[in-house]
Order: sequence, then structure tokens, then C-alpha cells
Amino acid sequence: MAAPCFHCALPVPASCSLTVDIDGEKHPVCCPGCKAVAELIRDSGMTRYYELRDAPEPGVGRPPDEAAEWQVFDSAEMLDAFTERQDDAREATIYVGGMYCSACSWLIETTLGKQPGIRSAEVNPITHRLRLRFDEHAAHLSAFLATLANLGYQPQPLSPESTTRPEVAEQRTGLKRLLVASLGMMQVMMFAVGLYSMDYQGIDPDMQYFLRLVSFLVTTPVVFYSAKPFFTSAWRGIVGRKPGMDLPVSIAVGAAYTASVYATFTHGEAVWYDSVTMFVFFLTLGRFLEMRARHRSIDRSAALSTLLPNTATRIDAAGHSIVPVSQLSKGDRLLLRAGESIPADGQVVSGATSVDESLLTGEARPQSKSAGDDLAAGSINIDGMVEMVVTNTGSDTTLGTISRLSERARYARPAFVTLADRIASYIVVALLVIAAAVAVFWYFADPGRAFVITLSVLVVTCPCALALATPAAFAAAGSRLSQLRLLVTNGNAIESLSRATLAIFDKTGTLTMGLPRITAVVVVDPAWTEKDCRLVAAALEHASTHPLARAFALPDALPEVCDERIHVGEGVSGMIEGREWRIGNAGFVGGGASAGDSVSTHVFLGVDGRLVAWFDLEDELRPGAAEALDASRRLGLDVALISGDNRIAVEAVAAELGIDDYHAECRPEDKLRIIEEAQRRGERVVMIGDGINDAPVLAGADASIAPAHGALLAQTSADIIMLGDSLSPLGTAFAMSRKTMRIVRQNLGWAIVYNTLALPLAAAGFVPPWLAAIGMSTSSLVVVLNALRLSRFEQ
Amino acid sequence: MTILYVLIPLALLLLGLAVWAFFWAVGNGQFDDLDTPAMRIIMDDDDKPDGQD
Repeated sequence: MAAPCFHCALPVPASCSLTVDIDGEKHPVCCPGCKAVAELIRDSGMTRYYELRDAPEPGVGRPPDEAAEWQVFDSAEMLDAFTERQDDAREATIYVGGMYCSACSWLIETTLGKQPGIRSAEVNPITHRLRLRFDEHAAHLSAFLATLANLGYQPQPLSPESTTRPEVAEQRTGLKRLLVASLGMMQVMMFAVGLYSMDYQGIDPDMQYFLRLVSFLVTTPVVFYSAKPFFTSAWRGIVGRKPGMDLPVSIAVGAAYTASVYATFTHGEAVWYDSVTMFVFFLTLGRFLEMRARHRSIDRSAALSTLLPNTATRIDAAGHSIVPVSQLSKGDRLLLRAGESIPADGQVVSGATSVDESLLTGEARPQSKSAGDDLAAGSINIDGMVEMVVTNTGSDTTLGTISRLSERARYARPAFVTLADRIASYIVVALLVIAAAVAVFWYFADPGRAFVITLSVLVVTCPCALALATPAAFAAAGSRLSQLRLLVTNGNAIESLSRATLAIFDKTGTLTMGLPRITAVVVVDPAWTEKDCRLVAAALEHASTHPLARAFALPDALPEVCDERIHVGEGVSGMIEGREWRIGNAGFVGGGASAGDSVSTHVFLGVDGRLVAWFDLEDELRPGAAEALDASRRLGLDVALISGDNRIAVEAVAAELGIDDYHAECRPEDKLRIIEEAQRRGERVVMIGDGINDAPVLAGADASIAPAHGALLAQTSADIIMLGDSLSPLGTAFAMSRKTMRIVRQNLGWAIVYNTLALPLAAAGFVPPWLAAIGMSTSSLVVVLNALRLSRFEQ
Repeated sequence: MTILYVLIPLALLLLGLAVWAFFWAVGNGQFDDLDTPAMRIIMDDDDKPDGQD
């Protein structure tokens, strides 16, 4: 096959000889749009973009076939709705669809920054939002939107209310807490070195008091500011009678801090400020990294709205007007052109077309629609112009309902009490009981030593290692997985994954690429060769936008076609060398076309009403699919396949990959039912799939994985997002999740052994508080180092 | 050793200043994007369009 498009990485149609000249080298591109984008990038002096971007995802950055009509955003009314006035400038927030790495944000900022009238352009690659400040007298908002569209992104102006981002506020607070904890830790460690060394060399009591006092000053904000989330969450746990991991953490921090403060002002034996700050720092760092991973998952509302167009053409009494989709209401009549996505649910009033509903139904083949048929928002009108009447808009549409359904399935998931939390809860209760018993015993045996010994018991057995055991391992696993281009968006994902017993794969777009390919040509009329048939088919399909048409592209010179006509939902006809050729479905081609039983999709070719040949088209398997399945089986997982596609196609893929358990022609409800049945049998299900229709299914499974380029909504309900093209990291992920849980168990085991050994010694009064503090820090360190082994994990 | 009574408060003062400066920078939105700046440093802004260099 020829090299993929230099800009968007889609295959270059054979009939296309366009190239773009960059740094003296000619690169092939797949369409005039990509050529224009690549040239725009080159002419702006930003060819570095191509070196710096991550591996391109096919199709990302591809310009829309038809330039959207942005001028509608220049009216005073729209400007007020989508921008805020700031001094003499306007500020707009624009959701930029189609961004996938930091190079994109650099490209956008630099390109927009060179436009007249721009004050500032800042892109946040995590939230995919562009903050644009411009002078409304010197520039139009539509010019910026058009530039973004020309660069191949899908801009979507957001109204000011929807731009206040809780994530940004959360990240800012998290950063501040982390900084206070890290600076505090470093300072207190420095003072601690002085205190510890003076313990041996003999200390000037005034100097000791002074060092403890400054340690106290520095530790106080660390405890009350940085560790605040742990205290509030622990309190919530107590109130809700579900003591979680944060309760032992809070008790450890609280007890060590209080005891240190007491020791400071009573000139007691030891202080543990260093342990307190170090502990808080590690915990805060873990929380911060976890939060960053969470924010990377794309937010739901924006994901939903990018599937809908910005504007629609409304048919009024006065004629046509372009209105924003948010202003549509029930009963409006809309004009849909070929290539546009459908802005609302509705019915066809007049005209006929075929519609790509793959996002909603998983059905790859276009559905033909004529007057009276239902249209669903978010699907794409492929080839005809129709008039529709709106029945539902916004969140009432099928798309909105599916998104709500997935939300509900997500929250209905049983609250998962982790192994670590359960053990930690028991242990913390047990420790408190033991500490109280020790205090009572020593109060009667030797009142003078009672407090110090109780303190030693509390510190030496402090569940720090226990509290760190799980988060440290999960953080290390998360960062290793992200190197494998797997993004963990849900804290429970690794644990759920490790317990999985059944892996269910979706077919279209997950096990397969979703791109059709010709697998066989069957010539029935001996007057023609296979080569002739392929050439004629390529010539006829050249003009078609049908998804299957791409499979026919050939690199050769094609025969000339006259009077070419696209018959919606049927095929293409045209005159070649004076004869009428038809390509399409059996009824359209005529001549008693029938391909009998076969596993693939058929396309028929006929001339003058006689059948000449048929083509078998199949969807190619995704790279790494076989490896991922083998790895799953090696780990003892059962593998199943469910798909909305027809039985024959599903059987073919199942046979190729050796999957015995497969279900075809499943609607989303069926898929969810299959998963629930498996769960009732006691299976723990990991679902690997994409597509909007799979979103509730993904949320209903115990763990879910979605490819990043699937429908955006599927990503938001998936626990793990695959950023790469290959499925092979999945095997590593399964193995790694188990290794992670093994390390968590080792850590918990070590912490328990340490605590049970140290406890009797401390209770007997053999452990002075300073030794207790060292023991506590060392046991935590062992746990962290053990967890870090995960970051070098290879399968 | 008496000098510590001066140096340590001085260090704490600088620490407070650093924290204040960081809080200001965070509030100013300078840390909202933690990914792009890492890339920006390796990109030259002086790439000339074709034919101009």
C-alpha cells in the first residue's frame, strides 16, 4: 500500500496524486483539504509540528470536507452569548476538538498569535480549551474559528457559564498543597538532622527548644493546609460509618503532630515533625498524580456536544437562516446537506439520503432514509440533501439519553471497598484498642512512663506503611501504564482489572480497525478479468463518499466515467466506453446477483443489467489483537466477543482469533444483559470496546477499556483509555494489574509483620520514641521502594 | 552556634516569600498547563517560512 497521508495518516486514495513540499521533500497527502492544512502549517513556518507531534492518529486533524459557516458567530447577539467583554477586548473560550497532544496546542497558539487583532491565545491541552482574547474592532471571531477549522480542528465556542472549570481550581489547590508539603518537608528534615546529631553530641537545651519550635512552625501549615483533605475525608468516613484509608492516615498525622507539639512545649524526649511532613508529602504527591490522571479523561459535556454541529440551517417563512444548534426547538424544519452531522433528533420530511449511524448503533453500513424515517442527532448525513423536522433537541435526544444512561450505570456500580481499606480499618481499630490498653496498664504500673510508652506504641505501629502500601503501588503502576500508552482514569481500575475472569471484546473499531478492505474478487462473467473489474470499480467508486468506497481505491490510471450518478442507498452507476456499469447492492446491479453464503460484506458489479463480478470486503484486524487475546488466555481469562454487526462477519472474526464464545447482532441492551448474566455467574468482566452505544456497557462492566479514537463518550465511561493503535499493551496491562495487586499484598503483609513485631516491644517499653520514629519511616520507605519496582515492569 | 538564631528565621522568611510567590503564580494561571511548556522550550520560534531563510 502507498504511504499514508503526511498530514492525517489516513491511506491516500490511489487516484490522488497530491503532494505537499516540505523541507524540499515531497510528501503524499490524501485530499486537497489536508494539502491546504499542511501548506498552511508550512507557510506559517511551523513544520516542526510534524516532528514534535506524537504518532499521528489516522484521521485526526483532517479538515472538514465542507467549511462550516462561521460568520453566524459575528453577530452582536452571538458575540454577547459566547464572549465576555474585558476592558476593550473580548474573551472567548473555545473547545477545540481533534487535539491530541501538546504540539497541537503550540501550533494553535502560534498560528492564532500571528493573526491581526489577537491579544492572547492560550490552549490548555488537558481540557482542550482555548482562551482567546481579541479586539472586536480589529478582528472577527469567525476568522479565528475559520483558522482553527482550516488547521483541521473542530472549534466549538462555549458560553461563559460552561467555562468555569472545577478541574482547574482543583489542580491549583492540589499544586499549592503539594508545594507547601514539599518545602515544609525539606526544611523540617534539615532541622531534624540538627536535632538527631545533637542527640549524640550532647545538645544545648536552648538550641534544641529553638529547633523544635521552628520545626513546629513549619510543620503546622503542612498539617493544617496540605493534609486537610485527609482529615475532612476521614471525618466523612466516620460520619458515614465507612472508615476508609484516610482515617488511619489522619490518626497517624494527627497523633504524631499532637505528640510532637506536646513534647515541644513540655521539653519531652522526642519530636516526629520530620516523619509527619514526609508522610504528608508522599500522600499529597500520590493524590496529585492521581488527580492529574483523572483530569486527562475528557469531560462528558464537551464530548457530547462535539458530536453535534455548531450550527444548523433552519427553513423559515422567509427562507433559510443559519442558527446555532442551542436555539433549535421542537417543530423546526431544517435543511441537511450531504456531509453534515445531524443536529437534533427528528424525521425526514422530504428527500432521501443514507445516514451513518455507526456511533449510535455500531452498524458500519449506512442506513437509507426517506420521508417519514427517523433521524438521530450525532449521526452523519452521507450523500443526499433532505429536509427534516425536529422532534427532540439537546439532552432529550437519543444521544443525550445514551449519555445519561451511561452516567447512571456508572453510579449504580457497587461501591468498591478495597482489600487495603478493609484491612486498614480493622487494624486501625485494633491499634486504638491496644494503645488504650497499654496506656491503662502503664498508668497503674509506672505512671511516669505511661505517656511516652503509649506514644511509642502509637508511632511505631502507626499504619503509615499500611496507608502507603496501596497508593504507592497504584501510582507506580499508573505511571508505567501511561508509558505503555494506557491511561488509567479510575482509581479502582487496576484492582478490578486484576480480578477479571472474563474479557469481552467489541468487534468493530476495537478488534478490527473499522476500515474495510477487499479480500476477494469473484468474477462470474468470463469476458472480464479481475483486473478489469477492479479498475472499473475504482473508477466508479472514486466519486463516492460511501465508507466502503475507500476500499476500492487503486494506484493505476482509471478509465474515464461519464454520466456518473450516485443512487442513495443502492450504489453508483456510470458510462464507461459506452456501456452502463453499476456497482452496489444485488438488487441495484440486477442480473440475478447473489453471492451465496460468505462471511464478508458483498459489493456487486454489473454491466448493462448483467452481473460481472462481486467483491468481498472485510474489516482488517487491529494490530496486536491476536497477541492481546493470547496474553489474556495465558493469564487464565476467558475471552468473548460481542458485536452489533451481522452474524457472518462476527463469526469470521471469532474464527480468525479462535474465540468460541461470541454474540452477534447485539443491541446495547443485549450487550449489557450478557455482561450482567456473566456477572451473576460470578464472572468478573472486563469490557474492551468503543462506540457511543457501548458507553452503558463499558460502565456496567467491572472494568472497561476503550481505544482513544473511538467515540469520545466511550472514553469518558471507560476506566482505561488506550492511546495507541495496537491492542498488544492490553496483555501487559492484565499482567501488570495482577503484579500490582501482588505488590500491594506484599506491602500490606510487610506492614502487618512489622507492626506485630514492633508492637509488643513498644508496649513493653523497650522502644524509645526516637527509635519508634525511625522504625515508622523505614517501614514506609520499604513499602515505597517495593512499589517502585512496578515502574520497571516488563511482561 | 548563636548565628543560627538569625539564620534560621531568615531562612523561614525566604521560605514564606517563596510560598507566597508560588501561590501568586498558581493563582495567576501559570501552572494550569503543565505539559506544553516542557515542549515549548525545545521549539524554535525562528523557523522561517520557506524561501525566507
